[in-house]
Amino acid sequence: MNEEFDFEAYQNDIHRTGRAMLSIGVIMLLACPFAMAYITGSTIEWNAFFKAIISVLIVYVPSCIVEYLIYVPLLGSGASYLTFITGNITNLKLPCAFNSRDMAGAKVGTVENEIISTLSVATSSLVTMLVIFLGVLLLIPLTPILQNPIIKPAFDNVLPALFGALGYQYFKKSIKITVFPLSFMVLLCLLIPSMVNQTSFLLIACGGIALALSYVFFKKGWIK
Amino acid sequence: MNYLQIANSLSLYLLVGAILLFIAAGCVVFMIKSYRAGLKIGMDKKVLTGAITSSAAFTVLPSISILLGVIALSGSLGVPAAWLRLSVVGNIQYEATVANIAAENMGTALDSSVLTMNNLVTILLVMTVGIIWGCLLTIFTLKGYSKKLKLSSGKKSNSNGGFANFAMTGMMIGLCATFVGSYIATTFVKANSTPLITLLVSGLFMALFDTLAKKYNVTWLENFSLSLAMLFGMFAAVVSNLIK
Repeated sequence: MNEEFDFEAYQNDIHRTGRAMLSIGVIMLLACPFAMAYITGSTIEWNAFFKAIISVLIVYVPSCIVEYLIYVPLLGSGASYLTFITGNITNLKLPCAFNSRDMAGAKVGTVENEIISTLSVATSSLVTMLVIFLGVLLLIPLTPILQNPIIKPAFDNVLPALFGALGYQYFKKSIKITVFPLSFMVLLCLLIPSMVNQTSFLLIACGGIALALSYVFFKKGWIK
Repeated sequence: MNYLQIANSLSLYLLVGAILLFIAAGCVVFMIKSYRAGLKIGMDKKVLTGAITSSAAFTVLPSISILLGVIALSGSLGVPAAWLRLSVVGNIQYEATVANIAAENMGTALDSSVLTMNNLVTILLVMTVGIIWGCLLTIFTLKGYSKKLKLSSGKKSNSNGGFANFAMTGMMIGLCATFVGSYIATTFVKANSTPLITLLVSGLFMALFDTLAKKYNVTWLENFSLSLAMLFGMFAAVVSNLIK
């Protein structure tokens, strides 16, 4: 390593810039729904917001914390600032950074990895934004077609399509963990039909059951 | 103007565009800083430019997959909201699930014929607040956390594992079981088989793509498997509705 390079100063600069960028970015993201409400003359339904956010936070805050603790050591500081604001971590940013690191021959926890990961995630974020921007430009003239009544059932069934594919991916990881929460959910909805529309509430119950089973199976050494 | 016309209005495109432009500018700043630092520590220019070009090439296919997610969500949330949500924090799994949870709590569904702008701004706020915690942790604790992780040339740092990995898998299984269970029950409770048909077709195509990618080493398919499986599932929903 070049002796003139002050890594401490570089890191401090990255933290300063990263904190400023993320702080402004977070404020802009949080302000966006309010700005949209102002522009369109609509209002936020606070009762529904608080009910929904409780379910969401119970499920997603623990995974946000776990992701943060696991990914920061692998990515380094610079890449972490960018990764957590641009998203698509496991499906894009992480494999992309790993690929670049392997190509450059840098090891986890080194200065080289810090630099290569930052370059990689920054490039990846920019390319993603560009591809989506170009796609959105193409989508604008297609909007009337997307609203066609024949095509509408496709958009009404985005979630079943998503959970069919995701279900295959995750259920096969552990059939043992899957059986109980899935049976519980089906039986409960069949016995109390109104529960079919209460997925946000039942998510907590099923998530809790699956999490508890994972813990027991892990402790017993039944899953590896 | 109807709901989708307002949700797709020019002013919302401009608002989302401004936010994304700021984040893109941040990426450029980090890129310049890390490139200069790389040169200063004596890294080869070819290695640095190689990281940029390989990352760009690596990203194109998954980005098209993310774009398909934008198309999927734009039918109910409008293009600007879907564009914003899938360009920053989160991913298609999170955004679609949370949008549904928020819609359900307002007594509505992710369906453009019943959604209102009040619903949309509320859904967008739930989606944002629900996923912002990684960013907040980064802002407030990353400096201290990264100092603890001893950064030394050539030495490997500890990577967390253990129960954390199983906990994430367990949580995802619980999430999938909730929705899959509700679609199975919907077939009998509401006499509506379209969600289950969509789910099964999507799952079957996912299995097919997974097999092709692993057995025949079609690696590019891994990037598209989720989005393509979803598209086949959504196509099945259209067909199922036509033959009813």
